[in-house]
Amino acid sequence: MAGIFSSVRRIYLTVYNWTVFFGWLQVFYITVTTLQQSGHQSVYAAVEKPLILAQSAALLEILHSLVGIVRSPVTATLPQVASRLYVTWGILYSFPEIRTHFFVASLMISWSITEIIRYSFFGFKEAAGFAPSWLLWLRYSTFLILYPTGITSEVGLIYNALPYLKETGKYSIRMPNALNFSFDYYYSALLVLAFYVPGSPHLYGYMLGQRKKALSKPKSA
Amino acid sequence: MKVSVVTRSGRELVKGGLELNGSATVADLQEAIHKRTKRYYPSRQRLTLPLPPGSKERPTVLNYKKSLNDYADGKELTVVFKDLGTQVKYSTLFFWEYLGPLVLYPIFYYSPIYKFFGYKEERVIHPAQTYALYCWCFHYFKRIMETFFVHRFSHATSPLSNVFRNCAYYWTFGAWIAYYVNHPLYTPVGDLQMKIGFALSLLCQISNFYCHILLRNLRSSEGGGYQIPRGFLFNIVTCANYTTEIYQWLGFNIATQTLAGYVFMVVAAAIMTNWALAKHRRLKKLFDGKDGRPKYPRRWVILPPFL
Repeated sequence: MAGIFSSVRRIYLTVYNWTVFFGWLQVFYITVTTLQQSGHQSVYAAVEKPLILAQSAALLEILHSLVGIVRSPVTATLPQVASRLYVTWGILYSFPEIRTHFFVASLMISWSITEIIRYSFFGFKEAAGFAPSWLLWLRYSTFLILYPTGITSEVGLIYNALPYLKETGKYSIRMPNALNFSFDYYYSALLVLAFYVPGSPHLYGYMLGQRKKALSKPKSA
Repeated sequence: MKVSVVTRSGRELVKGGLELNGSATVADLQEAIHKRTKRYYPSRQRLTLPLPPGSKERPTVLNYKKSLNDYADGKELTVVFKDLGTQVKYSTLFFWEYLGPLVLYPIFYYSPIYKFFGYKEERVIHPAQTYALYCWCFHYFKRIMETFFVHRFSHATSPLSNVFRNCAYYWTFGAWIAYYVNHPLYTPVGDLQMKIGFALSLLCQISNFYCHILLRNLRSSEGGGYQIPRGFLFNIVTCANYTTEIYQWLGFNIATQTLAGYVFMVVAAAIMTNWALAKHRRLKKLFDGKDGRPKYPRRWVILPPFL
C-alpha cells in the first residue's frame, strides 16, 4: 500500500510541477514579447490569464505542506505564497490603475524566471529522482538577484497603489454595522508593507542558508 | 558520587565533574551546578538522563525532589544539561499579561482617543458600553487577585520570552476589542439581549472563581501530584475552570456583540481545549482503575454538550 501511495504522490507532484512550470514559461514569454513589441504598459493585460492561473496554483503548495506530501514546512510556504497572492489578486487584479506601472514588468520577469527554475527543479526531482547539477546551482543562486528585484517590485506596486486603495475604499468595511466591526484595506496594506521590513531580510537569510546547505553537499559526501 | 554534567552537544559544562555525597538529591546537584557556573540558577536548568545515540525517545527529566541514587546504578552519573533561559515567576507572568487589558480598556472608554481616529463629534455613551467596562475590568481585576491569592502553580517559573509572547496576545486582543465596544459608531443590542449576556457573564465569573478555589484546595490537601478534580461543576467537566471562562466570554459577547470579541473567544477556546485535552488524557492515564488506583470517572472534557 505504501508503494502505491508513494508512486501516486510522485506522479501527481510531477504533473503538478511541470504544469505550473509551463504556466510560468508562458508568463515569461508573453512578458518578453510584449516588452519588445509595445512596452511595459501593456504587460499586465497580456499576461493576466496565465499569471493568475499559475500564481493561484501555488495555493496547492500550502495544501501539499499541510498534508505532508512535500517536506517544506507550512510556516515557510504560507507567507511566501500569501504575499504573492496578495500582490496578484489584492493589488494588480483589484486596482487596474496600477497595471501600467513599470514595476509590473520587472515583477513578471523576476517571478517567472524564479518559478521556471524552481518548478523544473522539483519536476526533475519528482520524475527522475534527481536534478541536473546546473539546475541545482540555478535554483540556489538566481534568487541572489531575483529576490531583491522581485521584492522591490512587489513593495513598489503596493506603495504606488496606496492612493487608489484610500480613494476607492474598496474592500473596506465601515461602522456602524450590526457586528460592530470595521476593516480598512488601506491601513492593512500599510501593515503588509511593514511586514516586508523584517520579512524580506529574513527570507533572504533563509535562502542563503539553504544555498549553503544545497551547494556544499557534494564536498561532504 | 561523581556526576558529569554535559550539554546537549556533548561538551562538558562543569570541568572535571562534580563530587556529591551519596544521599544528595537532584536539588543539591542543581545548587552545585549553580555554584560552579554562576549564571545557571536551579529553575533555569533542565537536567535529563542521556539517551543512546540516534534514539528518538523523549529523555527522562530529573525530578528535583528525588535522590540522585534513583537515577544512578553505580557510583557515577552523567546528566544532560539544557539552559531554559531567563526565568520569571508565574505570578509575574500572569500579572503583566492581565495588567494590559485592565489598563488599556478604560483608556478607550474614558479618553478622547477616537478624536485621533478622525471622529470629531461628541460621543454618546450607551448603557451597554458602561456595563461592558465594569464587566471587563472586574474580569481582569479578578484574574490578577486570583494570581496572587488563589492559584497554586504546578511550575514555579516560566521563560522570560513567554512574558513577551503572552503580553502581545492579551494586550493586542484587549485593545482590539475595546476599540470596537467603545466606538462612537457602536450599535448596541436590544435591552433583553444585553441583560441576558451580562447575567451569563457574571454568573460564569462567580462560578469560575469557585472553580479556582476548588482547584486550590485540591493542591493543598496533598503535597503536589495530580488528583481527580471533584465538586461543583468538576463532577461534570474535567476542566470546569475553562468551561466557565469560555461561557463568560460568550456572555460578554452576547451583550456587546462585536466580531472582535467573538474572534477572541474562539481563539481562547481553541487554546484552552488543547490544554484541557492534555489534562484529561493525563488524568485518565494516571487513574486507570488498575492496582488499586481509582478509575477516572466519565466526564466532559471542556465544553459540554460538545466535547
